[in-house]
Amino acid sequence: MTEFLQHIVNMLILGSTYALLGIGLTLIFGIMRVVNFAHGELYAFGAYFVYFVSILLGLNFFLSILVAIVAGCLLGALIEVVLLRPMRGADIDTTMLIMIGAMIVMQNGEQYIWGGVAKSVNTPFPQAPLVIGSVSVSWLSVFVFFASLALIAASYLLINRTKLGKAMRATFQDRDTASLMGVNIQMIYMATFALGSSLAAAAGALLGPVYVISPQMGNIASLKAFAIVILGGLGSIGGATIGGFMLAFAEEIGAGYISSGYRDAMGFLIIIAVLLFKPTGLFARAERIG
Amino acid sequence: MKRYLPWIALIAAASIPLWLHDPYILNAFITTGIFIIAAMSLNLLLGYTGQLNLGQVAFFGIGAYTSALVSLGFDVELIGGIRVVHEPWPVWTGLLIGIVVSAFCGYIVGKLSFRVRGAYFVIVTISFAEVVRLVALNWVELTQGPLALTSIPPVTLGLPGLGYYDFFSKQSYFYLVLGVLAISYIIISRLVNSRTGRAMVALKENESLAVSVGIDVTSYLVLAAVVSAGIAGAAGGLYAHYLKIIDPDVFLFLYTVTMVIMVVTGGKGTLAGPVVGGLIFGFIPVFSRSFVGPELQWIIYGVFMIVIVFVLPEGIVPAIEKWFASKDKSRMPESTQAQVQDAS
Amino acid sequence: MTDKKKFLTVFAAAAMLSASFATQGFAQTIKIGVNEPLTGPFAASGTYVVNGAKIAADEINAKGGVLGKKIELVIEDNKSNPTEAAAVAEKLITNDKVPVIMGAWGSSLTLAVMPKLLEYKVPMIVETSSSGKITTSGNPFIFRISPPSSVEAHAFKDILPKLHIKKADFLVINNDWGRGAAEDFGKVLKANGVQVGYVETMDQAAQDMSAQLSKMKSSDADTIMVTTAVEQLTLVLKQAAALGIKKQIVTTGGSQNPDQLIDQAGAAANGTYHLTTFAPWFPDNTPDPKATNYFLGEWKKRGFNFAGATESFRGYDGIRTIVAGIEKAGKAEPAAIAAAMWDVNFTGLNGKIKFEKQGPAGKESGQSIPNVYLIKIENGKIELPKL
Repeated sequence: MTEFLQHIVNMLILGSTYALLGIGLTLIFGIMRVVNFAHGELYAFGAYFVYFVSILLGLNFFLSILVAIVAGCLLGALIEVVLLRPMRGADIDTTMLIMIGAMIVMQNGEQYIWGGVAKSVNTPFPQAPLVIGSVSVSWLSVFVFFASLALIAASYLLINRTKLGKAMRATFQDRDTASLMGVNIQMIYMATFALGSSLAAAAGALLGPVYVISPQMGNIASLKAFAIVILGGLGSIGGATIGGFMLAFAEEIGAGYISSGYRDAMGFLIIIAVLLFKPTGLFARAERIG
Repeated sequence: MKRYLPWIALIAAASIPLWLHDPYILNAFITTGIFIIAAMSLNLLLGYTGQLNLGQVAFFGIGAYTSALVSLGFDVELIGGIRVVHEPWPVWTGLLIGIVVSAFCGYIVGKLSFRVRGAYFVIVTISFAEVVRLVALNWVELTQGPLALTSIPPVTLGLPGLGYYDFFSKQSYFYLVLGVLAISYIIISRLVNSRTGRAMVALKENESLAVSVGIDVTSYLVLAAVVSAGIAGAAGGLYAHYLKIIDPDVFLFLYTVTMVIMVVTGGKGTLAGPVVGGLIFGFIPVFSRSFVGPELQWIIYGVFMIVIVFVLPEGIVPAIEKWFASKDKSRMPESTQAQVQDAS
Repeated sequence: MTDKKKFLTVFAAAAMLSASFATQGFAQTIKIGVNEPLTGPFAASGTYVVNGAKIAADEINAKGGVLGKKIELVIEDNKSNPTEAAAVAEKLITNDKVPVIMGAWGSSLTLAVMPKLLEYKVPMIVETSSSGKITTSGNPFIFRISPPSSVEAHAFKDILPKLHIKKADFLVINNDWGRGAAEDFGKVLKANGVQVGYVETMDQAAQDMSAQLSKMKSSDADTIMVTTAVEQLTLVLKQAAALGIKKQIVTTGGSQNPDQLIDQAGAAANGTYHLTTFAPWFPDNTPDPKATNYFLGEWKKRGFNFAGATESFRGYDGIRTIVAGIEKAGKAEPAAIAAAMWDVNFTGLNGKIKFEKQGPAGKESGQSIPNVYLIKIENGKIELPKL
């Protein structure tokens, strides 16, 4: 039982960051129909940015995270304008290839600048864990959990309660009609990509200090994000959130009670099962996002 | 002229070992050739049916593992205590069985995953490849997992009593790869130029229309998936017996990405596309190696890819075809132009 | 790397390129191929090894080279990818005409190179790979200076009684290295009356091991044996501390970079034991203190991170082994070097380098048996525990 409780706590923390990662991708995927392979690289970008600002420039840890999120947002907007805007209307695999190219360039650029040796960020949190009964968790993870939840809630409100969010939802439903109704599609696309990127950078900025920061950290993040999006359905923030927790649950229970070798297979097996029985994802309402 | 172009290319390719004596470049031709075959298999799905399979490397790896295991032998205990012992068989049977097993997996995956389309299809195929990789990694008794299958024998052709021919030298392996490449090319070109192929293209253009005129969409897609998986399996088998070692890295996502790059830059939905794209992206690393540092080689690779997609979004081969067509058109008198358009 | 350094590197590369053109035709140098991962997942380690190799080459050249010629390293990136590792070997052997190679870091990379060695009959010094298959598959061109896990486990036998282990769980990276370690150490433990509990694996790229660790937290074992590279090890220690695991942790494999662990895992690294094959913190306790001090001095002078020394010394020793072989052979030809390797006998940074025969008779590979040390991290400091 003790072990099970510990697994549940682990799952909640892991799941919150998975959700954050998934939401960014699902928005880009759902609204723009871009298979964004550079998503994991924005995650790595966020992590490296925190390292750069907090360790090398000596900025406050919490401010560094905010700065990294803003930087991720700007980089996302830049990528959208330079790489995706000229290719508007191209096939899904053409834009995907561009994002793969961006991924290769960014990942090796990181290695060129920072070298292959992993970096780590020291945080103001105490090293001794928080112990409640038999369950133990680090203070940093607790912070990451609540920060992730806050960001998820903020994205939800942005999509559901603001004018920009309304325009995004309209674009997701029917691009042409939205355009006729006076929605500035170019602007919406840029905003979507910037938002998705800043969420990825936020996930990286929060998780970089928890883990270590290396040029390859983006690969696994992309893969997990794809799994989460499929579980949750395209363009659904609520779905991606639940998808993130489900993936974390499957991994924890899989590794804890079945076989750690197949830990990373659990998520994919669920995906295959989900698609067999409910091909649009568990929570997709194909005609709307939010 | 266009009709003879593949034959001219084949003859030109066949002459390479006669004048090229640099084993390193020949090695690059062989590995590039193997990946071109894999890219051609991807092109059949992506280019002609419009379905992007990002798990193509799974079939490549299944072909590689099956062929290696058939020719090395294995001894595993399945669930329920059933013990399966397999003595080593000749390598060419391994290659054939590898193709069959891959094609069969293609059938299963096609049956299951063609329930979804577009982005969902893309991700279900990635998932499939990841699961297969993890099985190869963790089923140590069969695949030796990360300890790798080593000492994979070279390809030999022949029957007991009739003598053997082995493809041990680089030159002979080059011809073997070229041969498989040519056969795959012919199979794909026959398929896409047949009635079946036209149905496939029709459903790529407009699936609901294709359904309304009575095309059984899923069965065509599954057929394409089976052929595609079989060819990818053949490429995998060639890879295993050439490198003589395989481990779960054969399922690297990078390999699928390599195939996609070759197909899309070369021109999807054209027979020559994967060949042209494959030669370019197979040889960029070979040439950039001597000029710049390791990370920069990758950066050049990525930038070059983006530039090609930007400048020639249709791919290199269609762009060249268009250019020739416009040149021919301007030379020809008005009256024949209409005929050309009809014919094309 | 600063911009200035980068510029210098580019400049040096250009100079070397023109130099190689200038010297073509009358071979003034002896080329040594280096086949290491400089990009991809193993980039950090491969780069360390190459840096160590460069220190050895410069030292040897400063002393006049070998056989009256300078040595020249031809360094190629195998991209952490077996296909590329084989292609690089082919390039080094046929284009650069190197008579001997050092490589290829990971076991799957080395295994992919091995058929090429047989094909061209060129010897290779294996500096890192740990898979048992490398020296037992009958490839007479393989000479390994790193210990496979069986050798390490064997040396561990003497240390074992002093650690008071009753039952141990294993947490290993899911590759040949981790699985090999779990198997070989498991055997030694069992043979010495220690129970073996869970054997859990973690994917090479995994960053979150708390599921595996939570399971071990509630097991009745008193020790966790961990085998993985330093990045993942940092995470294991941090996550174990966060879960409040107070068990004894022993790591194997010799790639741990204890300094990086102290730097990155902080207090979480305290109290952990590490089996390592080189002890740069105690140069006077190493087999050849003078060489160790020289190597560490150079390493520092070049501005490299001290933590890399435990990885890069293998590159340093690898090149020194090759040069010793060339000297014994009296000529820079593959067959002569391969034959002369059996006569190499000198003290490397981690013990005697002398090859013993392993594998099927008639085509044995060479295996050198290095020293194994047990170190302990205590209060952010590395100690050689008095056991």
